[in-house]
Amino acid sequence: MSLFVFGAFMLLQENLQHFLTGLGDQIRINAYLEKGLGTSDVQSLGVRIKTFPEVERARHISQEQAWLDFSAALGAQSSLLDGLPRDALPSSFEILLKPAYRDGPVVEDLANRLKKEKGITAVEYPQEWIDRLSLVVLAVQWTKWFLGGVLFMAAFFIAGSTVKLAILARKDEIEIMQLVGASEELIQAPFVLEGMIQGIAAGAVSVVGLWSLFRFLDRQVASSVGLFGASAQLQFLDLKSIALLLAIGWLLGAAGSLFALRRFVRTWKS
Amino acid sequence: MIQLFHVTKTYPPKSQALTDVHLEIGKGEFVFLAGPSGAGKTTLLKLLFREEEPTEGRILIDGKNITRLNSRGIARLRREIGLVFQEFKLLPRLSALENVALAAEVVGMPRRESQTKAYQLLREIGLRDRYDAKPLTLSGGEQQRVAIARALVNDPLIVLADEPTGNLDAEAADETMRLFLKIRENGTTILIASHDLELIKRYGSRVIALRQGRVADDLHRVQQEGSVG
Ligand SMILES: Nc1ncnc2c1ncn2[C@@H]1O[C@H](COP(=O)(O)OP(=O)(O)OP(=O)(O)O)[C@@H](O)[C@H]1O
Ligand SMILES: [Mg+2]
Repeated sequence: MSLFVFGAFMLLQENLQHFLTGLGDQIRINAYLEKGLGTSDVQSLGVRIKTFPEVERARHISQEQAWLDFSAALGAQSSLLDGLPRDALPSSFEILLKPAYRDGPVVEDLANRLKKEKGITAVEYPQEWIDRLSLVVLAVQWTKWFLGGVLFMAAFFIAGSTVKLAILARKDEIEIMQLVGASEELIQAPFVLEGMIQGIAAGAVSVVGLWSLFRFLDRQVASSVGLFGASAQLQFLDLKSIALLLAIGWLLGAAGSLFALRRFVRTWKS
Repeated sequence: MIQLFHVTKTYPPKSQALTDVHLEIGKGEFVFLAGPSGAGKTTLLKLLFREEEPTEGRILIDGKNITRLNSRGIARLRREIGLVFQEFKLLPRLSALENVALAAEVVGMPRRESQTKAYQLLREIGLRDRYDAKPLTLSGGEQQRVAIARALVNDPLIVLADEPTGNLDAEAADETMRLFLKIRENGTTILIASHDLELIKRYGSRVIALRQGRVADDLHRVQQEGSVG
């Protein structure tokens, strides 16, 4: 059960991160250029910008293009621009960051360095938005670990109490094995094994449960296409996460049964 | 074989079961531990197979100090000791043969070998035809013989028995005692706790009497009065 909840959070986080990366494509830095730069100056500046390690792509937007974009954005109100000279808007570079660098402080730092480049007059980026996004990711991450921790404690004790029942059912056998001098390891092995199997089984059940939940949600989303666009494609847990869930189940099962053995078998108390 | 030096056992909080017990039992001796209920017989046996630790004093078994042992040491000690209890302690799901063989198997004897050995023991003990029976279908005397076979399967140096005839009628009790005498012929040391004075009189060659946790008497009889009823 708790493995299921933990898995659900992993699923949520993964999808959120995926979604945010999608949004991240829209995190762009605009570097406005001085007026009157020659074509070669613009070109060498473009090359220079691309040498920054954080930069994925940089697209030059000429004054002409800026004018067109702007008037398109204004739409019906584009007549407002009438009478303004066509070079009223500065040309710029639109910079797209590599996914790993789409993070508040990194963006700010890069913006500052760009500002110092010759030919760049101003740098613009959606600061608040970036901050808020990474905050959400962080919140989900912390909730996952916190809830996960609480739930793991629960799973540990549940595994322990299941094994406890097995121990009580075989109390006489354990006692006789102890009396004839069987080693502690030999006596404990079957219970630890059972705990492990139960833990892995619980993990597997969680994954299957998550899978059906995922399929259900995926269909819901598919039927409301257009709400989020293409970036709303849901992602299931990757193999690494599934393996992690199973491994956690395995460890919890083993630990829980050892704990129960220590508690319920007399001679091992101390 | 068994040596106790000034052994005292106090169960918390302050129930003193044994006080300053001092005794030695040699290899191959056949000894009764007598005394009224609550005298400390069971406690003394428990100290010998390390179910309990002495509060004070020292216990040597086969020259080795068993006062401080970890779980591995306790397991090793118990392979040298065969245990027989009043209530048999057989596993009801297993056959007589399996009950005996299990004890050998869990200390590392291969399955085949332990079963062969268990069968041989059951045959010697007179249970050749009942080896496949479940304990609850056997009589009390037969069950106790299965338990004794289990105690012998790992060739112990010592057999400890706590009221082994407590649940048996006179005839089965006699049979059980004769079996113990036979076991002793191989040089196995045998210590039997009992408060059955009749039985002790008939079979005891040495009787250690406990009273209120102290050794009250230690009688050696040079000549046994006879082992046949
Ligand atoms: N686990 C225990 N905790 C506390 N006190 C105990 C425990 N076991 C035994 N005692 C006490 O120690 C004393 C000796 O008990 P023990 O069982 O050794 O006597 P016994 O000679 O075997 O008696 P019986 O003939 O009735 O079996 C008794 O007073 C008993 O109440
Ligand atoms: Mg007793």
